Amino acid sequence: MKRILIALSVGASVLLAACGGTTGATNPSTGGPTVVPPAASLTGAGATFPAPFYSAAFYVYNQRYSQVTVNYQSVGSGAGIQQLTKKTVDFGASDVPMSATELAAAGGPDAVVQIATTLGTVSLAYNLPGVSNGQLKLTPDTIAGIFLGKIKKWNDPALAADNSGVSLPNQAITVVHRSDGSGTSYIFTDYLSAVSADWKSGPGKGKSINWPVGQGAKGNEAVATTIKQTPGAIGYVELAYVLQTGMTQASLKNKDGNFVVPSEAGATAAAKEFPNVTPSQFSIVNAPGKDSAPITGYSWLMLYKDEADKTKGTALVDLLYWLITEGQQYGSNTHYAKLPSAMVKNDVISLKTVTSGGSALLTVPTPS
Amino acid sequence: MSRGTATERVVPTPLVVSSRQRRLVAGDRVFEGLAVGAAIVILLIAAVFVLALFVPALPAITKFGFGFLTSSTWDPVRLQFGALPAIYGTLLTSAIGLLIAFPIGIGAALFLAEEARLGLLRGPLSFAVELLAGIPSVVIGLWAFFILTPLMRDNVDPFLSHTLGFLPFFQGSASGYGFLTAGVVLAIMVLPILIALSRDVIRAVPRSLREASLALGATKAETVWSVVLPYARVGITGAVLLALGRALGETIAVTMVIGNRPQITASLYAQGYTLPSVIANEFTEAVGNLYQGALFELGLILVLITIIVNVAARILVWRFTGSAPVRV
Repeated sequence: MKRILIALSVGASVLLAACGGTTGATNPSTGGPTVVPPAASLTGAGATFPAPFYSAAFYVYNQRYSQVTVNYQSVGSGAGIQQLTKKTVDFGASDVPMSATELAAAGGPDAVVQIATTLGTVSLAYNLPGVSNGQLKLTPDTIAGIFLGKIKKWNDPALAADNSGVSLPNQAITVVHRSDGSGTSYIFTDYLSAVSADWKSGPGKGKSINWPVGQGAKGNEAVATTIKQTPGAIGYVELAYVLQTGMTQASLKNKDGNFVVPSEAGATAAAKEFPNVTPSQFSIVNAPGKDSAPITGYSWLMLYKDEADKTKGTALVDLLYWLITEGQQYGSNTHYAKLPSAMVKNDVISLKTVTSGGSALLTVPTPS
Repeated sequence: MSRGTATERVVPTPLVVSSRQRRLVAGDRVFEGLAVGAAIVILLIAAVFVLALFVPALPAITKFGFGFLTSSTWDPVRLQFGALPAIYGTLLTSAIGLLIAFPIGIGAALFLAEEARLGLLRGPLSFAVELLAGIPSVVIGLWAFFILTPLMRDNVDPFLSHTLGFLPFFQGSASGYGFLTAGVVLAIMVLPILIALSRDVIRAVPRSLREASLALGATKAETVWSVVLPYARVGITGAVLLALGRALGETIAVTMVIGNRPQITASLYAQGYTLPSVIANEFTEAVGNLYQGALFELGLILVLITIIVNVAARILVWRFTGSAPVRV
């Protein structure tokens, strides 16, 4: 028994020595550093939208570095921010960066580092028998008109004008929106506020708003199902759900005047147009560029700039560095768009400001 | 002389209390203390519970005051909150649910309790009722979301419009999501409670009363109508109250079918909202004291409505029968 214990403790100390910190060796395949993270158990909480991406990526990370386990609870952005503020989690996640008030509650504007981890783009899915995927064309005006309740029927002249050759029925439009507070709603209403003065002065933008028309369904899945069950319905759904469930989605007219069917590539293209995004200037809706998907937004992750526990802090920044570089590829299975390189660079610069006991925890070179 | 009781009985105030009696008295005191303590704990829990809702709700209570109860606006962007549509939706859907469930529930309970020829059927039927009671509400919600809403939209609602369309309740376009569907779901959810409790209450009606009625020449229906049901009325009211409590607080299944739209309409086809649904939908992403306070205040209102409904029903029963309803 004693021998086993000794063997165990020796083994453990060898292990600890082996993973005792970050090394700066360069990984030839990616150009990035080979990071051997220290053993740690990390917990995060927040947004539901990036949860499938985080789960997939953190799983791969754990397979690679079994000493790091990450537990992410998709409890909603608001709850994630609150848990970070109360320091019950190591990182929080939100579809909208923390506001000035929230930052103040968490210890001031410089207490928290916020990085963008992935991109979401919103599709307008519809249920019109006989109108196939991408066939329905919507412009900023018609989208705002439908969701303001000004366009009530599918054969409205405003819709017909953009859709010559498509037989739109004389049928009432059933608008479906999210009933739960969500980042998807935020991105969509941010877009509507950007393209429509009526919307901006009317319902406005937010995770929950006072919808002029339509019915609410809880979660992307319920919105998607309600649309599928209701002929004549239209609603906004996260692209991933549209692709996974094979729904028909509209072509959207972007700022350059092109009709694009939202896609991961379109989201990345839109994000590229905004190289100077910061947590306080984060809106990337209605992007210029011919391929840009117009209703796009980043999803954010926050951690404290000064990490109390050095080992945990090191493991955390190593994990997040991996998430925004190599980890990006694991979003494609679940239809998450990759970050543009400018954003990765911003994120790395932000992560390098994270310290513990005065010394920086991430020692990788900043990508050029 | 043994420590008999005869002498002690004639002594008005016994100066010597036996050790056994003292133990008994002490035991009574301990028991009394425990019972009073338990009762106080219950009261404390209730008080703490209301307080725990009241304190976080304070920002909204001070900001909106009484207007919170009368305003129909629910606008998280401009931080304007009013609870009226959610209160309306909660009361309306519960009322629809009970209106549908009551006759079916009492009928089924009478059948199970009174029909002697049932024999083999009674066991499986009772089992089915208990099975229905055991289905989690989220499963009923899923079923309602996928099966009931299209059924309501394509069959039930058009039928009602066709036959009862002259009433304002059955006018307007039916999407399948709305007050009526939510009411039907609630009816399904409260049925097992109603049936099981009413059945037991009806069974508890003394056999001698039934026999007396039958002996006087009353038919079975007359016996049930004028002897069994009046006798069981108090207990049935208790069952209805319990069912109402469940209907008022039901969250997830209602959220899935009501359409989640804060509005007040006469049409039962229209989408609505209920107090628990608003809380469930918006709590995770509610940021700021005022917004969260408004949601807490909705919770407080829900608790108060439950209390008011209970008290009102109790007073009604007292008026009619002069006795309190059976607590179930």
